[in-house]
Amino acid sequence: MNKINKRPKHSGKFGRRTFLAGAGGVAVGLPFLEGLVPREARAGSDLVDPFAIFFRQANGVAAQQSTALGDEPERFWPTTHGPLTPETVAGRAIEELSDHLDRLLVVSNVNANYFDYADGHANGALQGLTAQGPVVPGQGGDSEANGESLDHRIGRELNPDGRDSLFLYSGKNSGWLGGPCVSYRGPGNRRAALHNPLLAYQTMMGLDSNQLEELIARQTSVNDMVRDQLQSLVSSPKLSSNDHQRLQLHLDSIRDLENNLTCSFGVDELAVLEGLSPGYDSDIGDEVLTAAMAHMHVAALAVACGYTRSVCLQIGSGNDGSTRYRNLDDNSLMENYHYVSHRRASHDNSGDVIANADLLHSMVDRQFAQTFKYLLDLLEAYELPDAARLIDCGVCLWYNDNGNGPAHTSRNLPTVMAGGANGFLKQGLYMELNNGDDTVNHARLLNTIGSAAGLRDANDEFISDFGDPNFDRTPLLELLA
Amino acid sequence: MAFERWLPTLALLTAAGCYTSVNADEAGGTAGETVGDGGDADTSDGDGDGDGDGDAAELPSPSPRYYRLTHEQWENTVQDLFELSAPTGHSELFRADPQVAGFIFDNDATSLEIDEALWTGYRIAAGLVAEQVTDDPDLLAKLMPPEGPSEAERIETFVRSFGAKAYRRPLDDQEVATLTELFVAAPPYYSGVSDSFVAGVRHVIEATLQSPFFLYRIERSETIVDELVPLDDYEVAARLSYFLWNTMPDAELFDAAAASQLHTAAAVEAQAQRMIADPRAGDMVVRFHQQLLEAEKFETISPSPNFFPDAPADLGELAAQEHEHFIRDIVYGGGGGLAELLTSSETFVNDDLADIYGVPGVNGDEFTFVELDPSQRKGVFTQVGFLAANSTSVDPDPIHRGVFLAKRMSCLQIAAPPDGIPPLPPLEPDQTNRERVAAHTSADQCATCHATLINPYGFPFESYDAIGAWRTIDNGQPVDTTASPFVGEQAVAVAGALELVEAMAASEAIHECYTMHWAEYAAGRNAVPDDWVMIQRLGEASLAQQQSIQELLVALTTAPAFLNRAAEELP
Repeated sequence: MNKINKRPKHSGKFGRRTFLAGAGGVAVGLPFLEGLVPREARAGSDLVDPFAIFFRQANGVAAQQSTALGDEPERFWPTTHGPLTPETVAGRAIEELSDHLDRLLVVSNVNANYFDYADGHANGALQGLTAQGPVVPGQGGDSEANGESLDHRIGRELNPDGRDSLFLYSGKNSGWLGGPCVSYRGPGNRRAALHNPLLAYQTMMGLDSNQLEELIARQTSVNDMVRDQLQSLVSSPKLSSNDHQRLQLHLDSIRDLENNLTCSFGVDELAVLEGLSPGYDSDIGDEVLTAAMAHMHVAALAVACGYTRSVCLQIGSGNDGSTRYRNLDDNSLMENYHYVSHRRASHDNSGDVIANADLLHSMVDRQFAQTFKYLLDLLEAYELPDAARLIDCGVCLWYNDNGNGPAHTSRNLPTVMAGGANGFLKQGLYMELNNGDDTVNHARLLNTIGSAAGLRDANDEFISDFGDPNFDRTPLLELLA
Repeated sequence: MAFERWLPTLALLTAAGCYTSVNADEAGGTAGETVGDGGDADTSDGDGDGDGDGDAAELPSPSPRYYRLTHEQWENTVQDLFELSAPTGHSELFRADPQVAGFIFDNDATSLEIDEALWTGYRIAAGLVAEQVTDDPDLLAKLMPPEGPSEAERIETFVRSFGAKAYRRPLDDQEVATLTELFVAAPPYYSGVSDSFVAGVRHVIEATLQSPFFLYRIERSETIVDELVPLDDYEVAARLSYFLWNTMPDAELFDAAAASQLHTAAAVEAQAQRMIADPRAGDMVVRFHQQLLEAEKFETISPSPNFFPDAPADLGELAAQEHEHFIRDIVYGGGGGLAELLTSSETFVNDDLADIYGVPGVNGDEFTFVELDPSQRKGVFTQVGFLAANSTSVDPDPIHRGVFLAKRMSCLQIAAPPDGIPPLPPLEPDQTNRERVAAHTSADQCATCHATLINPYGFPFESYDAIGAWRTIDNGQPVDTTASPFVGEQAVAVAGALELVEAMAASEAIHECYTMHWAEYAAGRNAVPDDWVMIQRLGEASLAQQQSIQELLVALTTAPAFLNRAAEELP
């Protein structure tokens, strides 16, 4: 037989030595934030600027519905609108968040538009943080969103030097809609996600050596050279708009290193991060969600330190079509989540019926709720010098880009917010928008969250310009405290 | 959006909403112009050979000037730049690039960006590479200039020599001065390095690996000559090496560029022939076909243990191995072309695959060359990988088999299906899978695409079950593999998959479609209408001359579009 000629594969495992040697030299103990506060932090209640953390789930939730297979009971939403109490969430997936009920704002009847994406997942996932239709209609799984996503907008306008917000992804790096797909720089310009939590931390820290002063000094000289070269290239009149945009992004991405070890994980926290991280590319649900928890550690540190004002955590591809979550009854692995959401063993509804699929779906919802709770616990554990908690400084949004299972509707999108963004949002409530009618109000929700995170228009008013201008984009004042 | 072949005979389908043409404005054409109009052999203005006889000119299309290295190219380039025995593995420090819709391959120049996360990865990797190279006496020795009359001269020798390889072109005096400044300033930055010259080398390495001139393949030529912008010799060398080897030019290419010997098609042809014989080209060819033929999908193969209890648990991995062996053998073992890719019965199997193919006498895990029964198997689409990856866990999936062949291999454009498709019903007693699918797709809104474009490409493969094994009976009934798919502009009646792949191998449209994918890969962008003259010429030659894939690649590298830039810039 023919001999296969190949370049020898490197054996390198992405090791700690590769990027973090010495970075954790200053131990910072959680839950106290004093060591984590950025040096320029202000006193009083403004220690941490408001932020937004987005946590995305696919495929809808196990809500009450009737399908061709029969009636399914409500397993997600609280029982009644009004104050959230242990009684109103009992038996529902949100029950997993009982420790944080007084910080939650659960909103029903969030309705997105049915754009011509020719696919329910594309319509949900690509519209989810953009409130925009497709660049080219009717492309199904080959769609791209026609606008910037909110997480990126917050970063672009509010982050130091316009630094990119963090876009984190856990799950197989492929699949429907290409894996990471919810964050956009602009029309058709999809962002790359940080997959490995250790890479995310590396990006935030930027340091890799014990000899920090040497590193900083020599990198300054390299940066000077690279900036000069890029400035020269960017100024060329022969550049196309695409070339110019990419080179400008490159130029804007060059950062001068700082000795910011006061805002890093200590040895113990690094060990925790490393322990949680390995499953980021898995299709086993527990591993995927554990890696998401690792991302949450990075996210919490990043917003605490003012590295970014927004973070997006996407779990699973466009339809989370390969992740197999755990059956909470017997700890076995379910069929993949997309199958479960279809109630059948196929991606296209042609497969055999999966027994008790709606119950299994609700177990997936509960595991997402437990993971979201992990984030909230982390943020709550960060105690600021003024005794405030980090969780109260920003808003965390757990959202699902479809409303329910087989139909994958874009109406009544699950929307669970936690944290009041320094008193901006109501808390402890389950609210219904528009009296439950069919009004498209998704863009209004995103403008509200953007405003909660600190976005303002030219008149220093809340933003009302985010998303497709054909829809109402004014903030939802009824959600404000 | 991908450039798709226009089939005038199917124009009615456009009105029905199934078949859509390229947006002419987006694709760079004139509004209202159909993509294939200029490419039809019978209606084009000329033969497209670019010889100035009044034919439709074969001109390059506007293209980017900055091509960021893919992560694989970064690894290969660093390995070759420092003559390492293996890739560094440091590209694991780089966040993955996004998979942007509408482009098959991993080298879409317009989407390969450097954001802060990737910049951080590049920076750290540069430091690690510099440390590795300067800490290794053997590697360092390859970079060190000979002892000279002065240290300044040695520094300049090193900077010019190394810098030219890293930037893939000679440095100008200002660039030499900049790197020299870095060299001289280095010692305090590396307290652990006792030799100041080595510290300088390390700093220059660290800096150049972060330079845009290293991280991008850049085409700076601007001078218009006869309505074209000829690439300079170094730019041609880099186009050749990154296309055929996925890495930087080697010494012979650099020497040819330095001697201005890459200006003619003949000289480039000679280099391309040399390069294609190199194993690095074999890796590229395999990788191209893995992406084109969606071999990554093989890992999803998961047959039902209830229906296929004897199927190996690692069937997907085995299929991937067979695929790689097959592609490499087609291109390098027998010097085959597209026709052989589509029709060869030769392949490589281990014992598990031999069982599925019904080949006796194969034992053990090792892959062995075999000839499959030519009355059952011809070409890559009758192999386990494609067949099982486009099946449910129980049944063959003629819809996905058909969609892939129609879109990817025939370049037919098929709109995405609507939302809310009802589930495929269970098989009725005595009903075949084909009958079920045909009935399920017979409604008007489905049949527009399915009856004409999709199902006729899928039904011929009903003689292969969900793991790719040959079958003649389905649910107690004889399988029906007859169909009339559009192969080119004509519906061709075929008795089954073997006749279909033979018809495809003999179709100019299929050769043009395959050539178009190569052109896209070489250019790092989707094809546009202006590329059609070249694609048509090369596709015709591929069929008429029964060219090997190697010959097709050489022909691609000597085309005017490969050796020149368009006078017009991208907007």
